[in-house]
Amino acid sequence: MILKKGILNIAILSVPIIFILGTLFVGRYHVSFSEVIYSLLAPLDFDVSKNISRETLTVVTQLRLPRAIAGAFIGAGLAASGCAFQGVFRNPLVNSGLLGVSSGAGFGAALAIILFAAQWTSYVLAFSFGIIAVGMSYWIARIYKSVPTVMLILGGTIVSSLFSALLSFLKYVADTESQLPTIVYWLMGSLSSVGYSDFWALIPVVSGLIILFIMSWKINVLSMGDKEAQTMGVDVKRNKLLIITGATLATAGSVCMSGMIGWVGLIIPHMGRMIVGNDNRRLMPVSMSMGAAFMVLIDTISRSITASEIPLGILTSLIGAPFFIYLLKKTKGGGWK
Amino acid sequence: MNLIHVKNASFGYDENNLFSNVNLKLGKGQLCCLMGPNGCGKSTLLDCILGIHKLRNGEIEIADQLLSVYKPSQLAKQLAYVPQIHDRSFPYQVIQIVLMGRSAHMTHFQTPSDKDEQIALNALTSVGIAHLADRPYTQISGGEMQLVMLARALVQQTPIIIMDEPTAHLDYKNELLFMETVVKLIKDHGVSVLMATHSPNQAFYFENQAINVKIAIMSKGGIYKSGLPNEILTEESIRRIYQIDSKIISSYDGDYGNLRQIIPLKTL
Repeated sequence: MILKKGILNIAILSVPIIFILGTLFVGRYHVSFSEVIYSLLAPLDFDVSKNISRETLTVVTQLRLPRAIAGAFIGAGLAASGCAFQGVFRNPLVNSGLLGVSSGAGFGAALAIILFAAQWTSYVLAFSFGIIAVGMSYWIARIYKSVPTVMLILGGTIVSSLFSALLSFLKYVADTESQLPTIVYWLMGSLSSVGYSDFWALIPVVSGLIILFIMSWKINVLSMGDKEAQTMGVDVKRNKLLIITGATLATAGSVCMSGMIGWVGLIIPHMGRMIVGNDNRRLMPVSMSMGAAFMVLIDTISRSITASEIPLGILTSLIGAPFFIYLLKKTKGGGWK
Repeated sequence: MNLIHVKNASFGYDENNLFSNVNLKLGKGQLCCLMGPNGCGKSTLLDCILGIHKLRNGEIEIADQLLSVYKPSQLAKQLAYVPQIHDRSFPYQVIQIVLMGRSAHMTHFQTPSDKDEQIALNALTSVGIAHLADRPYTQISGGEMQLVMLARALVQQTPIIIMDEPTAHLDYKNELLFMETVVKLIKDHGVSVLMATHSPNQAFYFENQAINVKIAIMSKGGIYKSGLPNEILTEESIRRIYQIDSKIISSYDGDYGNLRQIIPLKTL
């Protein structure tokens, strides 16, 4: 049992790293095994950089590596948030966008594209409006003194549709030659422009991941329902708020970098449930690990399969949807009622 | 000393009071059956005691301390709760469900230790379902589920367990099995129980098992009477509370002593 746990822990850490390293070899610009090794060693100044061309070094360390690292954290963030929301809301079919963070972020990004030219503004506005949207959902749900789960889901639905409408409005008024394609492309999700200079957006993602990892046991207890969780000694309101904060930081940070990416927050936790069961103490880190690996894989396919990149949102759904159907059929025998 | 002391309590969801001037005491080692017709506010009163709802008037003391001064984690070391029916969500293993009851004994970011696992296993053994430990709890029967809830309450290691019609959904045998387990827990672990129930005969059963039983009958608006079963459960009070005619019969059995039952005859 302890040995099995040890192997699992090693796998959780090593699988994303293997995928990140693996993706450095793949792409339309051919790079050999030794060139990758040399590129990775180059910053350590082992005098190896003369063995490889400047282009190779740039492709590996400036293009593929930052994309892979960002993709891994984004995948982990989306999967962990989805996992947390499924637990807290006692609903296996919700994802990280439940409280409106994705719709809010989409609106924020579109607003930035229309009002400002600089790319960093779309990051900031997407992140901010993602947080604002969740704040609004929470505020709506607080009509009663407590924050009942059903009211939160209702609040999230209302806020999501509000921001979807606002986004449609922005699309309607956007310049059809330049702005509209940018908005549409952003909404479909991509990591093509991600570099080290954007890594500050990973700070909220990592903070969110840490919060969700620490709170994984409380998510178990909260999934018993608010009343029972309280009778077991859990401060429901405070813990729920902390978990929602963690999930929102992780999702908003992810979405502002990558645009909208569906399915990861829904299917990855379910893949985890099949493999390690539903105890969030194990499910949470496994979801993070699998989300990271899945995202790196999808991004690799996105940038290597055709000459122009396929948007991530399309690929996650194309690959995710059939897999999810398969899972639904399969898990019917896996303890679900 | 009273473990639970409800003083002049009133509560309502809207401007009308659901109940008012309710007084209730639960002593150590006692089992109090809270009875009354549907909608009289039994579950709501239990929720107030559990700290889910706040009273409109009056106060509740738990172990001689005002309820309002308890933090959720402190209260969960005094009171454990067995719901009428647990709404199952994810297919957790039975042992994981029981383990969640240990949360009150962990500090804020702690997770269960090996000792907690052992306590959870022992609780499953006490209620007689240790063999179910690794089963998905979405696949066990309703009777087994209530025993899991009982085990989960037990690992909280509280002096008091509050139960809300815990046998309402169980068949004849599982109802008896649940009650036998409760008797065992009261005798072995010295817990006190406040239990909402619809079956007056359960009170007679507990009395026959030499449990210190007390009855509190709630009718519309508050507690109507409380005391020992043979004082309270009379044909007259059943008529008044439930609006039915009934007959109390008793027979003597060499092994089981004086057995009493209430036979419902007709509604009024």
